[in-house]
Amino acid sequence: MITTRTAELRWIRADLRARRGQAALTVLAVAGIVTALIIAATLLEDGTNPWRGLFERSNSAHIWIHSKDVPDASALRRLNGVTDVAGPYRSAPATLVTRGRRVPITLQETPSAFPAVARPLLREGRWLDVHTPNGVVVERSFARALGLRPGSPFTVTGLNGATHALTVAGLAESGDQGFYPEWTPGLAWTLAQTLSVVEPAPGRTETVTGLRLADPAATDLVVQRAVFTMRNQVQRVTTWREVRASMELDNRLLGLLLALFGGAGLAAAALALANAAGGRVLMQLRDIATLKSLGFTRGQVIRMLVAEHGTLGLLGIAAGAVVARLITAYAMGETVAVPLSAGPLAAIIVGTSLAVLVAVLIPAWRGGRTPPIPAAPAAPPRGHLSRLARVALLVRLPPALVLGARDAFTRRTPAALTVCGVAIPMMMIAIGLGCWTTLDDFIRHPESVGQAAALTVRPGELPAEEARGRAMADQDVVAAYPGAELDALVPWQTRTVRTRALGLSSDPYPFPVVEGRMFADRGEAVAGQGLLDLLGVQIGDRVRMTIGGTPLIVRIVGRVVEPEQDGEVLSFGVDSLAAKDAMPPQFYALVLRPGADAAQVRARLQGQGLEVAQAVNPADRLAVIRVIIVALVAVLALIGLASLLTASALGLRDHVLDLAVLKAMGLTPRQVMATLVTATGLPAAVGVVLGAAAGAFWSRWLIDLEGRGSGVGAGIGRAPTPGMLAATLVIAIGAALLVALIPARRAARAQVPVTAR
Amino acid sequence: MTADAPVVRAVNLVKIYQTGGLPVPAVRGVDLTVEAGEFVAIMGPSGSGKSTFVHMLGGLDTRTSGEIWLDGRRADTLSESGWAVLRREKIGFVFQFFNLVANMTVADNVELPALLGGVSPRQARERREYLLGELGLADRAEASPAQLSGGEQQRVALARALANQPRLLLADEPTGNLDSRNTRDVLRLLGKVHGQGQTIVLVTHDARVASMADRVVSLLDGQIVDDGAIPKSRRRPLGAAGDVVELRS
Repeated sequence: MITTRTAELRWIRADLRARRGQAALTVLAVAGIVTALIIAATLLEDGTNPWRGLFERSNSAHIWIHSKDVPDASALRRLNGVTDVAGPYRSAPATLVTRGRRVPITLQETPSAFPAVARPLLREGRWLDVHTPNGVVVERSFARALGLRPGSPFTVTGLNGATHALTVAGLAESGDQGFYPEWTPGLAWTLAQTLSVVEPAPGRTETVTGLRLADPAATDLVVQRAVFTMRNQVQRVTTWREVRASMELDNRLLGLLLALFGGAGLAAAALALANAAGGRVLMQLRDIATLKSLGFTRGQVIRMLVAEHGTLGLLGIAAGAVVARLITAYAMGETVAVPLSAGPLAAIIVGTSLAVLVAVLIPAWRGGRTPPIPAAPAAPPRGHLSRLARVALLVRLPPALVLGARDAFTRRTPAALTVCGVAIPMMMIAIGLGCWTTLDDFIRHPESVGQAAALTVRPGELPAEEARGRAMADQDVVAAYPGAELDALVPWQTRTVRTRALGLSSDPYPFPVVEGRMFADRGEAVAGQGLLDLLGVQIGDRVRMTIGGTPLIVRIVGRVVEPEQDGEVLSFGVDSLAAKDAMPPQFYALVLRPGADAAQVRARLQGQGLEVAQAVNPADRLAVIRVIIVALVAVLALIGLASLLTASALGLRDHVLDLAVLKAMGLTPRQVMATLVTATGLPAAVGVVLGAAAGAFWSRWLIDLEGRGSGVGAGIGRAPTPGMLAATLVIAIGAALLVALIPARRAARAQVPVTAR
Repeated sequence: MTADAPVVRAVNLVKIYQTGGLPVPAVRGVDLTVEAGEFVAIMGPSGSGKSTFVHMLGGLDTRTSGEIWLDGRRADTLSESGWAVLRREKIGFVFQFFNLVANMTVADNVELPALLGGVSPRQARERREYLLGELGLADRAEASPAQLSGGEQQRVALARALANQPRLLLADEPTGNLDSRNTRDVLRLLGKVHGQGQTIVLVTHDARVASMADRVVSLLDGQIVDDGAIPKSRRRPLGAAGDVVELRS
C-alpha cells in the first residue's frame, strides 16, 4: 500500500516538474484571489470597526474603574487576569463653551510622557507640554463635532463656575474613549496641574483606573474581583465592549458588496483551478490511459489528480494568506493596525479550500473515467465546410479566416469550454465594474440612497424657528425640512424600530422612492425593505404602531432605498406625528445647492452657533472596495488569459496534423497563423462579448438582490456605463487575440511532420 | 490458482461495439487457451478483431459475453479496479505506440509498475537496473522518453511490462511502428524472455514477426479461422535475407 503511494507520488512529482510554469501560475492565481479577499476583509473590518485597531495600538485597558478615592493600584495589578494597570488618573467634569454652545466635557489627567498602557494616539498637533499648561489634547471625534482644530482656543467652566481659557494643543484618538456623539461626554487629556486649576476641590474629582487583561473574555470576572477588592469605592465601571459598540459603524452596505466580491472571488478561484486542472487532464488523457493499463485503478487516478491539483490550490491559499499578512503588516501598516480576526480569516480559507476541492474534483473524475486503452486515438475533429463557409469563400473572404472560423466550433465541447472559460471571468469583471458604477452613483447622486440632505441642523438651545432661519440664510442651503426621529413599538414584536418624520405631507423630503409612491397625506408613510420584511407587510397595507407613546395607524404607500438600520425604518411627514412630538422639530435636514461643498457650509453654519452634522456617504466608507475591484479585475483578467492559453494549447494539439495538410495545400505560414488565431480568438471573442453582456445584466440584479437581502432594498444597483463596458471589451478582445497569436506564430513556423503521434 | 491451469483461457468471447446505434461485432465467439510458457501470435488483417481480443484478455476493454480465465481464476466478472489490480500483478502490456508516460524518466517508467505492485522502492530500483541492463539501456535511465528513438522507447516499454515478472505478456503490434532493425532487436528480446519461460500473446499482422511464435492463431472477422503450432524446425532466424512469408494451411 505504501509503495502504491510512492508510485502515485512519483507520477505527481514528474507531472509537476514537467509543467513548472503552469503550476506556478495556478498557485499565483489562487494566491492572488485569497490575498485580495483577505485584504478586502481586513480593510472592511478596520473601516467598520476601528476599535480593534485603536485598542491594539494604544495598548488600551479593557476595564476602566471610576472611583471616588485613589485605589490601591498594586492590589489591582495583583488581581488574577490583570496584566497591567493604567493610572490611577484624576478626572473632572466641566463644561466646554464654544461659539455660544455649552457642551459637557471630561478633563482627564495624563502624564506629559506617553504612558505604556492606555496611550492616546496623537493624530494632529502636539502632545501635552509642561511649559504650556493651558494646552490640552482633545479626543478627535469630539473635536471634529465641535469644529476644534489644533490651536483653537476654547473655554471651560468648572463646577465652581470659574471660567478658564484653554487651547487645543493636539487631537488624539484612543481605544479607551468611544466616538462622540455616541460616547459622551467628550474627553480632553490635560496635565495634572491644568486639572487642578480647573477643579481645585479634590472632592469633586474622581479617579479612573484602567486594567489591561490577559484575556478579554474574563472581563466580567475581573470586574467582580476588582469591585470586591476596592470595596465601596467604585462608582462605575466601563468595559471595552461599550467602547467598541460606540465605534462600530452600520456596515451593511459594505458587507453586502464585500459578500458579493467574496462570492466572485471564490468562483474565480474555482474557475482558475478547474481550468488549469481540466486543461491539464485533457492534455494527458493518453498518459492516464497508459497508467490505467499498467494497473492504476480509477480511484487511484482520481486521488492522484486531486492530490496534485488540490495541493497547488491549497499552496496558493497558504501563500495568499501569508502574502496578505505581510502586506497588511508592512505595506499597509499605517492604515491597518491589526490583522484580520480569526473568524473571517477562517471563513475565507475554508471557503476557498472547499471551492478548490470542488473545482479539482470534476476534472479528476473526468480523468478517472478515461478508458485504459492508450492506443485508441482521440476522436478526430469532425465537421465540414458549412454552406455559410462556402459562401464566405466564394465572396473571397480570406480562406484563413474561413478555415479558422470552421475550426473554432468543429469540436463543440472544447469550444464551449473556451467560451465559458473566458465568459465567466469577463462576467465577473463586468459585475465588478457594476459595483464601481454603483459607488459612483452614490457619490454623484446621494439622494438616490436617501441622502438628499447633506447636513442636519439641531437647534440645541436656540428656538427652532431661529435655527431654521439662520440655516436658510446661508446662500448654499436650498431647503430645510423639519424632522424628528422616534422609536416605535411594533405590534407582535418585542423590539422597537426607527421612525423618521421628515418634511411635511404636502412638501415631503425627497426620499428615494423605488416602488409605489411618496406619501402625500397625513397617515401615509414609506418604508425600507427591512421594515416590510420585518412586519411581513406589502405596499398598500396599514400598520399600527405606537410612536413616542401615541398609537398611530399609517398606510405604507411606497418603498424607499434605506441604508440605515438594516432598512428597518418607517418614514412619513412631520404632520403625521402627534403635535407634542412634532413641535418643535428635533432637527432640520438641509438640502444644499448642487455643487456646494458640504464641509464649508457646515463650518459657516457652525460659526452661526448651530449644531451641524454632516451625512456620511456610504460610498466614502466603501472607498476600499475600489482598490479591491481593481485587484480582482486584474486577477480575473489573468485567469481569463490562463484559460485562453489552455484552450489554445488544446486547439494546437487537435490541429497539429491539419497544419501539415494546410501547408501541403499551399497556405503560407502567415495564413496558417491566421487560421490558428481565428480558431482560438473567435470563441474567446464570443466569450468576452457574452460575459460582458451577462455581467452588465447581472450586476444590477445581483447588487439589488444583495440590497434586498440586507434590508437596504432593491434599487441601488447600476450597470457599468456603456463607455466603461466598451473599453473593457476592446481591451479584453485585444488581449485574447494577442495571447492566441504567440503559440500560433510558433506553430505556424515549426516544421510539422505528417505522421501519427 | 493451480500450477497446471492454463495462463489464459477465453471461452466463447464476444465483443460487440455499438456505433451510432448499430451493433458492430468485433469478436464473435473466440475460444483460446494459452498454456504457461507458450508464445502465441495472433494474426489477421486490419479490423479482424485481434487488438480488441487482446485488450479484452488484459481487461482494457470489456467483453460483451463469454468468459476469461487468467491463471485458473475467472477474470471477466471483475470490476474495473479489480482488473487494474490483476493487471499490475499478472499482466504486462506492450503497445504499438510505446506509450511511455511522457513526463517521467525512463527509470521512473520502469519502476512504476513494480512500485504499484507493492515492491519496496529499493527492490524496484534493483529490478529496473537489471532490466535496463539486459535491454542495453542502462545509460539511458535518466533520459526522458522524448529523447529516445522509437526502438529504444519500445525496449523501455518492454522493460516496464516485465517489471513485475508478469504471468502473461500481452503485446499489441509491438513492432508496428518500428523500422526493420529495431523490429529485429525487439523481437530478439521477446524471444529471449520467452526462452526464460515467459508466456506471451502477441498481436501482429507481420508474418515474419508471427514466425517467432510457437503457435499462430489467425483471426478473420472476429473468428478464429486457423490455430496451429509452428514446428520448431521450420522456424527461421529473424531478419535473414530472403525471408518468405510463411503461409500455413
